[in-house]
Amino acid sequence: MAQYPVHTINRRRAIRLITAGVGAPFVIRLAGAQPALPEQANVPDILKGSGEVRIANYGGATAEAQLKAWFEPFEKATGIKVRTFPTADTAKAKAMVETGNLEWDLVNLGRGDILKLMKVGDYFESIDYSLIDDGLGKEYRFGFGVEMNTFAQVMAYRTDAFKGAVPASWGDFWDTNRFPGDRAMYGIGAGGPPEIEFALMAAGVPADKLYPLDIEKALASYDKIRKSVAKWWTTGAQPPQMLSDREIVMTTVWNGRMSALQEQGVPAAICWNQGLLKRDAWGILKGAKNKANAMKLLAYSTMPIPQARFAMLIPYGNTNEGANEYIPPQRLAMLPSAPENKKQLVFSNVEWWIENRDIVQAKFNKWLLG
Amino acid sequence: MEQALRFPARSGDDNRVRGASVSLTNLVKSYGGVTAVAGVSLDIRSGEFLTLLGPSGCGKTTTLMMIAGFESPSIGDIAIDGASVTAMPPYRRNIGMVFQNYALFPHLTAAENIGFSLKQRGVPKAERARLVSEALELVQLSTYGERYPRQLSGGQQQRVAVARAIVFKPRLLLMDEPLGALDKKLREDLQIEMRRLHAELGITFILVTHDQDEALIMSDRIAVMNEGKIAQIGRPVDLYDRPCNRFVAGFIGQSNFLPAVVCGLEGDVVVTKCQGVLVRAVTSQRPAIGAEVSVTIRPERLRFADSTTERASSANCLNVTVTEAVFAGERWRYVLSSDSGGSMVLNEASGAMIRRRAVGESAEITWSVADTILV
Amino acid sequence: MSVPIMTPPSAPGYKRNVVIDWNNARTRAIPWLLASPLLVYMAVVYAMPVVAMLLRSLNDPSWSLDHYAALAGDAVFLKVFWITLGTSLAVTFGCVVLAYPVALALSRARSTAPLILMVILLPFWTSVLVRSYAWMVLLGRHGVINEALLALGLIDQPLKLLNTTMATQIAMIHILLPYMILPIANALRQIDPSLPRAAWGLGATPWGTFRQVIFPLSMPGVAAGMLLVFVLALGFYITPAMVGSSSDITLSMLIAQEVEQLNWGYAGTLSAVLLALALAMIGIGQLVPGVSNALRTTKS
Repeated sequence: MAQYPVHTINRRRAIRLITAGVGAPFVIRLAGAQPALPEQANVPDILKGSGEVRIANYGGATAEAQLKAWFEPFEKATGIKVRTFPTADTAKAKAMVETGNLEWDLVNLGRGDILKLMKVGDYFESIDYSLIDDGLGKEYRFGFGVEMNTFAQVMAYRTDAFKGAVPASWGDFWDTNRFPGDRAMYGIGAGGPPEIEFALMAAGVPADKLYPLDIEKALASYDKIRKSVAKWWTTGAQPPQMLSDREIVMTTVWNGRMSALQEQGVPAAICWNQGLLKRDAWGILKGAKNKANAMKLLAYSTMPIPQARFAMLIPYGNTNEGANEYIPPQRLAMLPSAPENKKQLVFSNVEWWIENRDIVQAKFNKWLLG
Repeated sequence: MEQALRFPARSGDDNRVRGASVSLTNLVKSYGGVTAVAGVSLDIRSGEFLTLLGPSGCGKTTTLMMIAGFESPSIGDIAIDGASVTAMPPYRRNIGMVFQNYALFPHLTAAENIGFSLKQRGVPKAERARLVSEALELVQLSTYGERYPRQLSGGQQQRVAVARAIVFKPRLLLMDEPLGALDKKLREDLQIEMRRLHAELGITFILVTHDQDEALIMSDRIAVMNEGKIAQIGRPVDLYDRPCNRFVAGFIGQSNFLPAVVCGLEGDVVVTKCQGVLVRAVTSQRPAIGAEVSVTIRPERLRFADSTTERASSANCLNVTVTEAVFAGERWRYVLSSDSGGSMVLNEASGAMIRRRAVGESAEITWSVADTILV
Repeated sequence: MSVPIMTPPSAPGYKRNVVIDWNNARTRAIPWLLASPLLVYMAVVYAMPVVAMLLRSLNDPSWSLDHYAALAGDAVFLKVFWITLGTSLAVTFGCVVLAYPVALALSRARSTAPLILMVILLPFWTSVLVRSYAWMVLLGRHGVINEALLALGLIDQPLKLLNTTMATQIAMIHILLPYMILPIANALRQIDPSLPRAAWGLGATPWGTFRQVIFPLSMPGVAAGMLLVFVLALGFYITPAMVGSSSDITLSMLIAQEVEQLNWGYAGTLSAVLLALALAMIGIGQLVPGVSNALRTTKS
């Protein structure tokens, strides 16, 4: 733990100063409800530079939001050019470092991916926390990466399904008498590990006593809901689709997928309580050609205003609490990082999962097919 | 009863069955705006070998397909043995057919191909085998029954196709250019074999061909078709000697056509002025004096009139010059030009006994009035 | 005297007149030369990744056959293997039954053939994802079919059509149908039109003609279509995931999961199984006479 926050008072103070005062956000409201994005008018000299930084992300809406929230203003403010590649992939990152043919400097992965690679070799540069804004939560820092946004895997339900009754826990999700109707849960696919935590909480395990997960107990709990699960989803688009089509009344879902549904007027809501807080992370490839620039972009993207811009463009949470004041309250309420929501969420334990996923997955697959 | 009708009972060892008579009444077939057959009426006698002869596109194959039932006439009627079959599907007409490319089923052996029709008629297996081997014998392919079509030569495939078409004892056999894909020598052999078969089976054959030699050699009668109509019908020798129009004269054999003007009638003989001399011709028509006609003479009917040659009063004569001499095996082919500038071809047998003419040589030619036709 | 443009290689006497001499090594290289850009492309973007994937199954994390040995004891793999095989078989037979009449119509059509072909190929122009969504809209609990049946009073409660194995098969058949129709139609079109006529003339009824002549002669096309559909069905991922039941887990889904867990070695091993299965089917297909011919698009 002691290794990351290396205190270099001057830099930190400089950044704080800018975010709070000198670089006061210039916020205007456009006609209608769409708030304008706050602007980071200035950046500390330490983040300025020249040359370029090459970033790999996953493309799509997230990449679009990153571009508007971070990359474009970063280029303007620092003079460092940003090139992006929508092909982020752990295996590619691994191969690049091994062959020394690095096409990226900074890569968008998950903490689990980075930790898993660091277990088998030296693939990432350690983070220079002297450049990082103090507001970035301690829980989002680790040696070889920084988590720059959060999302939540939560319960969502149709508000018109239960005559006003409101499900508030996994116990309720499992309670098919009070909340009748079909459910959907995450099955197998490319969407991460199974939802063992939810099964355990439904079985009465307190949120703070989940890890290490008791897989047998979880499967026994899953047995009880199995009949009501109409669909074990594999892709993130499925749960909102099925809610919208009234194929199901309740589901597990990634929170980001729900806002579009709610905007369309579908009577659906998120239950934040007992959801899992998950995160995306930046890692800098070992030996990256533009390591310094990559570090600067990483630092920039975790400053309060860029964090607020990102959270306003896409309903993912900010990891720097300082951003909250720049986000309109209505918007903030939709985010997993809103204090009101965040305190209800369970912090997913990546470290436990990378050690145990293979075994858990095999048992879960077998159960699912059984 | 119907079974017996569709599969005529055999009487002893006699392969002969009475052939069907076919009568076509004003058959018309048009596809969209194109008329393939434009009114064909024809009576084919029982046991006859009739050939539909004509250039491609003359409607002969379409006529055959209508008889077979693969095409239905737009107008007109087809009757077999006096009963209309126009509305009858092909599989009930009981007609044998040999296709241009034989249309042997590639997934069946020669024996299975031949036995196909018997199987459709529910002939018991043992009887089927006997009939198939008989048919194979008839076409001299006894040992080839187990071969697939692709393992047979073109001639063998053709014979299997014939065996397949006759094994069920149809009373009518249709053949669409059955020898077209074979080389000349084989074709000639098979022409004789087909005649033999026709004589042996006694059934009615209708052949479609564009090959005039084939038609002349094989047929009892030939119907020459042009532009969807029958241009002339008759025995081969009648068609050859007495073509009734220029198309038939040109299509069957070679002809010299010389322009002429009618200047008198002497009984059945027409006197014309042709190439500056009087030429007599026979015709069934009675052309008017002064009418412009075409004198038609076959090249092999022209002869050089040597001093020794007797000059019959019934013969026509003309002075010519040899402009070209071509050797064509059994004959010499001379191109001649008359003193009035008309051009004609004379065929003369080749051989040591016959004097060869040189190019540029002057000569008198002569031919019989009976061989002179007006069209 | 006409000059032969091409003579068979066995006619050396004509050599001076020959324009293309296929005996010459240099001219024999021409086809390879013409194909080389594609061959290089295929080698780089296809062969290399496949080899790399196979290597991973053997050398990740170290050289051994451990991954393959693990397959036999992996109950999940075995179950998914049989599910995948069963789904592919069911879809293949479903396709044959539905495709044959269409192929027959297509092969018979003259002026309407381009229209029929376009209708058949229309699904190719939309993504598999979109088509799977379309099936969700149709089969859903409140989807078009259920609403219609409810409105007609034929049912009281919506039927569970979506998220079933049947839904997977229906959607997969829809997607794969063109791969069955085209080879069958091609085989049917290659049947000499005088063959059915010959059969009629010999006394076979239309049904008898179909049964004894047309159907047997179209078998190479049917076999080719079955081969294509089966092999393609083996690799399905999105459709069973979207419209299928929880037991419609395919090998591809298992592979995706292993990849996500960074178990590249085992993912490679599963992929090798899928590849071996596909190759085995193609090998069996080659044994059926005429299949390789039927897979060609032009008449030989």
